Amino acid sequence: MKELVRVPPERFGTKLEETVMDILKRGYDYRGRQEGGYEGRLHPELGMILAVTKIVDIEDGRVIPGDGAAYHPTTFEMLVFKPELHEIVDGEVVEIVDFGAFVRFASFDGLVHVSQLTDDFIVYDKKRGALVGKETRRALEVGDRVRARVVAVSLNPEKTKESKINLTMRQPALGKFEWIMEEKQKAKKKEK
Amino acid sequence: MKLTKYEKARIIGARALQLSMGAPPLIRISEDMLDPIIIAIKELEKGVIPISVRRRMPEKKLLGEEE
Repeated sequence: MKELVRVPPERFGTKLEETVMDILKRGYDYRGRQEGGYEGRLHPELGMILAVTKIVDIEDGRVIPGDGAAYHPTTFEMLVFKPELHEIVDGEVVEIVDFGAFVRFASFDGLVHVSQLTDDFIVYDKKRGALVGKETRRALEVGDRVRARVVAVSLNPEKTKESKINLTMRQPALGKFEWIMEEKQKAKKKEK
Repeated sequence: MKLTKYEKARIIGARALQLSMGAPPLIRISEDMLDPIIIAIKELEKGVIPISVRRRMPEKKLLGEEE
């Protein structure tokens, strides 16, 4: 990734690479606009930027009329995560609501709708804050580790919180880790 | 490299703005010369400003020349 980095004059005289790295990572506010600060931001094409890992090249700075800062064209590497459609993710249930469960994986929260939890009919247990299957009595609560498949991705770079990722657990080998183990053991018994 | 008077003015202007925005001066400064423009002129005389001029040549090539 290549970007023009504005190095403000008050940071001249320090080590350029360290300064540029800090600007790329943390950024600063320049006239009400965020300059740099890529970590933790959502890139419209690349996805969530988890870290700026390496600066490949910093070219000579340019002086632009009207601004005392130096502008360095910089090439750098980033670690990004973009949820792909049909990707299998492992996550943790962070919130249970009446219409489904929110699962946190990597740097995103995805929603598993009640209809996508299991083949069973799901009842929302308000007292426990859990979603319970009517036939199997299997319950899903906050803190449970689950495996799910990404079925829909809608990222919004301006408002990271409004990005929506829909997940499903209604497929073989998906769901709460305990359920997967149970299913595996069942399958083994059948073989015998 | 000899600079034209326009280039000198441009460099002094850019450097003075940097100094006024908090860049550390590259020469010793005393109490009686705290004006960023004066400091910039002194720096240019001493040849310590790390700014180079890229002249646009007729063949559209950019020449990067040391100050």
